Amino acid sequence: MKIKAIFFIVLLFTSAAFGSFLRPDIRPGYGVTDIGWLSDYFSPIRNTNMDTPVYFMDSGVEGPTFVLMGGTHAREISGTTAAIVFIENVIVTKGKVIVIPFSNLSAASIKDETGHAPHFIAIEGKSGPRFLVYGDRRTDPLDQGVPDPEIFKHAQSDFTLEDGAEARNLNRQYPGVADGNPTQQLAYAIIQLIDTENVDFNLDMHESGTPDSYIDSEGNERSGSSLAYTLVCHPDALEIGAVAIMEIEAYYGVSMKLEESNRAFRGLSHLEIRDATGSLSFLSETPNPGQDNWRDKYDVIDDPDYPLTHRVGLQLQIIKSLFSAYEMMIGETVEVENLPTYEEVMQNGIFSFLN
Amino acid sequence: MLIITCVAFVGFAVNETEEGLILKEPVAVTSAGQSPGALQFTVVAKMIKLEYTFEKLLSVDSIDISQFKTLVLVVGASGKGLGAANIDIEAEILRVKSLAEAAKENGLKVVVCNLEGESRRGPSSDRIVTELAPFADAYFVKSDADQDGFFTALSEEAEVPMATFEKTVDLKDVLAKYFGK
Repeated sequence: MKIKAIFFIVLLFTSAAFGSFLRPDIRPGYGVTDIGWLSDYFSPIRNTNMDTPVYFMDSGVEGPTFVLMGGTHAREISGTTAAIVFIENVIVTKGKVIVIPFSNLSAASIKDETGHAPHFIAIEGKSGPRFLVYGDRRTDPLDQGVPDPEIFKHAQSDFTLEDGAEARNLNRQYPGVADGNPTQQLAYAIIQLIDTENVDFNLDMHESGTPDSYIDSEGNERSGSSLAYTLVCHPDALEIGAVAIMEIEAYYGVSMKLEESNRAFRGLSHLEIRDATGSLSFLSETPNPGQDNWRDKYDVIDDPDYPLTHRVGLQLQIIKSLFSAYEMMIGETVEVENLPTYEEVMQNGIFSFLN
Repeated sequence: MLIITCVAFVGFAVNETEEGLILKEPVAVTSAGQSPGALQFTVVAKMIKLEYTFEKLLSVDSIDISQFKTLVLVVGASGKGLGAANIDIEAEILRVKSLAEAAKENGLKVVVCNLEGESRRGPSSDRIVTELAPFADAYFVKSDADQDGFFTALSEEAEVPMATFEKTVDLKDVLAKYFGK
């Protein structure tokens, strides 16, 4: 154990100069009124790989403020892509939207450690070739700077997980710790942004494994991911979520499952952001075949059953339907133009919405 | 506002008996398994202005069930929901069975509802349905939850009606028919 720790420290010092660096390729549209950094809300992360760009889309018309997060887990690319499509296309006409497309940019700076998708995936956008980033689920260990603990313990509770690497999972560290490790500081910075900007509601976009059942190595049939096609809501936001998923099913034929935050499971955005700031919190899950650990081969872009176009189209429709449901329940909402519907994305393909 | 004007498709699996059942308000609604299906039920109930009281953990100790005419138990076992409510599946089954038993003793009609489709089929959800089956006067079931005929078999065995619907929002047509709205 001691040798392992010494090795880690040596590795840290020798490789610090080569620390992973990534600036995502985002080509803002006319709807972006300002670009800032997460460190504007919490300066200790400035000049570190935990800092990340923040896009402001302010209508100038009084109304609710909404935060859209992608890339909490950087391999869950329907979320990062939906956030980029939003930044590159949408005009906000009432209220304000703040987009953090790569919430954990450190995680995006390294390849997915569990899968075999390429780190950079070549696609064809409207301007020609560009790349989507397929990162890891957790902060780069070099950016974390301290060895993973034996057991992960949530800072504000007694909640623990056996996998100590979860200390580098942004979505276990909310509401964060100002003087904690870098992932805790990242969570803290996001909470500061949401609190400072008086954000009314927010969505954290994720992906899970697919719901496909499979045969395991011993010949037993196993169920697929129960998280796929789920909208998780803070208990205070559940009714808005219920209306949103009913609309998606009624109009677009995609059935989603509604889940309520489990208060026994701490550190997750959909529970902690609301509790810490008052912002109504939602978390969406679309099915990514790259997260099925039983698949030998997969295509995270053109899977016949779960293509990226379907997954990003659904994320965008969830945003749109949350706006509608928020209006129905609260009385006013964020109003936008040029946010493609699920149907429009399915007809045109998602890359036709990337600049 | 965009909500929910789609054309409903509603199927009635037991046409010869469903006409005989008329449900009355006020309605007590609760979850059986703590999934959010019961809350979704209330969203639909509002659309047709159904008079209802909703409590996730409604129990014989917390409410006088005799003030209602109908009890709706929306079945869906959710680990997150049970965790959020800080109860286990055994306690949950005990609660909803006691409630259904009290409802029958007080002359209420009992409806067992699956609103979330096949995503709420599984050992725990199926067990809750089976435990509640002796009390059911009707089943309202999302079609994809009955692909294996699980609900059809229960309704036929007990000779009680079962109404199915394709999409969650289509439940409003089922409610409108049974409650005469």
